[in-house]
Amino acid sequence: MKLLWAVSALLLSCLRANASTGPNIIAEPSEVVNQTVAILSCNMTESSLPIKGSHWLHNGQKIDTSVSEDSAPFTTLRLDKITHHSSGKYECVFVTEPEGKKTIEVKILPHVSTHKHSEHGNENDEAELVCDGHGYPLPTDWTWFKEVDGGKTPIINGTSDKYEIKSTPNKTTLIINSLSIDEDIGDYICSGTNELGTTSDKIHLRVRSRLAALWPFLGIVAEVIILVAIIFIYEKRRKPDEITDDDDSGSAPLKSNSNDNHKDKNVRQRNSN
Amino acid sequence: MPPPAATNLGYTPPDGGWGWAVVLGSFISIGFSYAFPKSLTIYYKEIQAYFSVSYSEIAWVSSVMLASMYAGGPVSSVLVNRFGSRPVVMVGGVMVCAGMVLASFGTSIIHLYLCVGVIGGLGLAFNLQPALTIIGTYFQVKRPLANGLAMTGSPVVLFTLAPLNQFLFDSFGWRGSFLILGGIVLNCCVAGALMRPVNKAVQPKPKLEPPPCDQEDPAANANAQSANLLTEESQSEGKSERCLDKFIDVSLFKHRGFLIYLIGNVFMFFGFFAPVVFLAPYARHQGIDEYSSAFLLSIFALVDMFVRPATGFIGNTKWVRPRIQYFFSFAVAYNGVCHLLCPLAEGYSGLVVYTVFFGVAFGMLCALLFEVLMDLVGPKRFSTAVGLVTIIECGPVLLGPPMSGALVDKFGDYKYMYYACGVMMLVPGIFFFVMNYYNYKKLDEERMQSAAAEMRNSEEAVELKMNPVEKIAYETDG
Repeated sequence: MKLLWAVSALLLSCLRANASTGPNIIAEPSEVVNQTVAILSCNMTESSLPIKGSHWLHNGQKIDTSVSEDSAPFTTLRLDKITHHSSGKYECVFVTEPEGKKTIEVKILPHVSTHKHSEHGNENDEAELVCDGHGYPLPTDWTWFKEVDGGKTPIINGTSDKYEIKSTPNKTTLIINSLSIDEDIGDYICSGTNELGTTSDKIHLRVRSRLAALWPFLGIVAEVIILVAIIFIYEKRRKPDEITDDDDSGSAPLKSNSNDNHKDKNVRQRNSN
Repeated sequence: MPPPAATNLGYTPPDGGWGWAVVLGSFISIGFSYAFPKSLTIYYKEIQAYFSVSYSEIAWVSSVMLASMYAGGPVSSVLVNRFGSRPVVMVGGVMVCAGMVLASFGTSIIHLYLCVGVIGGLGLAFNLQPALTIIGTYFQVKRPLANGLAMTGSPVVLFTLAPLNQFLFDSFGWRGSFLILGGIVLNCCVAGALMRPVNKAVQPKPKLEPPPCDQEDPAANANAQSANLLTEESQSEGKSERCLDKFIDVSLFKHRGFLIYLIGNVFMFFGFFAPVVFLAPYARHQGIDEYSSAFLLSIFALVDMFVRPATGFIGNTKWVRPRIQYFFSFAVAYNGVCHLLCPLAEGYSGLVVYTVFFGVAFGMLCALLFEVLMDLVGPKRFSTAVGLVTIIECGPVLLGPPMSGALVDKFGDYKYMYYACGVMMLVPGIFFFVMNYYNYKKLDEERMQSAAAEMRNSEEAVELKMNPVEKIAYETDG
């Protein structure tokens, strides 16, 4: 009885195994590492299944130019210039029942870039330096260095209040607190490491003095004061030539107590005593 | 032949000479008042990140500043009536400077609301009203031209401030920039220094300054002599009203022209600024890239810059000047038509065409906006009138863009907003045409009636007052 069970279980598993693996596909090469050009190919062996076509996927997205209705059991994809954009997981797909796919990984050194090559910070404020990582596989480790006298000193997270590093696989941020002009100006290097190696990029940090804006401000205030003074002095110089205009009662010898001309327009009166 | 409703000055405005220096001062003041709040938006992104606040909280700075500017209108008018333009503008300049300097040391967003928003806005209000008022005292014949030139300050200052702000921001960060902007805005004091009070005693004239409220000053009715004086048409404002003149001139609400202007403007302002605000977003919505969309705004400002003085010049010509209200009505209606046709614009070149036409419309309207008010109420009451107008316009101006934004959000399409704005400008335009026609008719009738009345008065007076001791000769103008 037990023997019968074992034999039927074995047969069942064999059957299931045959059904679930589907057609056998050989992918060549199995993996692309650090190359600039590659030709990926997939070969479907021992298939009696009808092939209605084939195409390739890049990171899950169909490559439109690779779609073919050909019923050939092999397909190739040529990659001419492998950069961090074109790295990733490539899958060849045969349109059969069930579908046959195989994955080829195209790996490359990480591409590390900064948002801006030069950052500004204000004295006593904080500065944020950001590096992005692209490519496949994404960097697993990030390190920051400060360039001192031609050499690199590593910045270690958590040793002091001054530096704080926050990293995710595709981005790393270095936060520098209480910027000082003497110590913090200079180049900072971010390095991203994946299984193939390390690449870095450099950011230059500039720290503005608190008082930097003060001098232009004082200059402009001085200019305003000088201009206003000039205008007023010019006016005082001209005053003796003119009758003062704010002396109401003095300059009006022509008074009249006639109120009849309320509604009159364009009426002139002359009153001589 | 003096234009209607403008002859109650009692002296001849110079219409030139130092007046052009005053126009320069007004140019600077008006320029800063309108352009400064708009140009500060460049800093918002950085300040938003610095204080970790939401976008709407930052946008409140602009709203508070604009609200202060409009609400400060009546306060400004009262001060101008009392002290004249010059001290008010200089105080205003110092206020904005102080506000910006304090803001540069700010530690929270509330700090910015108070310093930039309240103090800054109030200071700008103290710049705007006096600058407009003083033009009326210096110019009579060339007033539309002077107004047009002064209003050109707004696009010119905006055009220079926008890249300057960007440069300051890159070099100094927002705090340093606020400090330096405080200095730049202090130049409003220079503008104020230029606003010398007009010399009213060069030509002998009847006294015009309203007497202090508690005295009857017979000097106020003094005689005039010599040729070509424009005497006041009314001590008819009455002495009791002179007291109110010093504060809010409520009698303005009985003034027909003022009411027409006010009602039309309140509706018009709902649709006035929204198209400007949404020009770049609409372009991007059509699929145009960011730089080209921003370039549309530059085209708009450039066209605006040239149209304003041109409109002033046209408004000054002898064909338009007597009927300048119709010109204004045309400008308003033209704006409306522009917006209604905007959804028909296709592609980038269509939008450029629309922008050019809109720039012309906007420039015409702005150049004439205050000139027609001066024309309606006269330079003496202009200060109070403009104070009242700005505080009442405060509502539509602040509500207009958000309401239009809500329209866009609701329908997902900009064309309904443009239709709405077009209608909101076309209807007041037609309203202005009709009511001004009626107003001009009434004014003409009144003038003929009072001309007849003065003929009768002078005849009676000659009979009554003729006696051997006093020789009084009356000459009447035709």
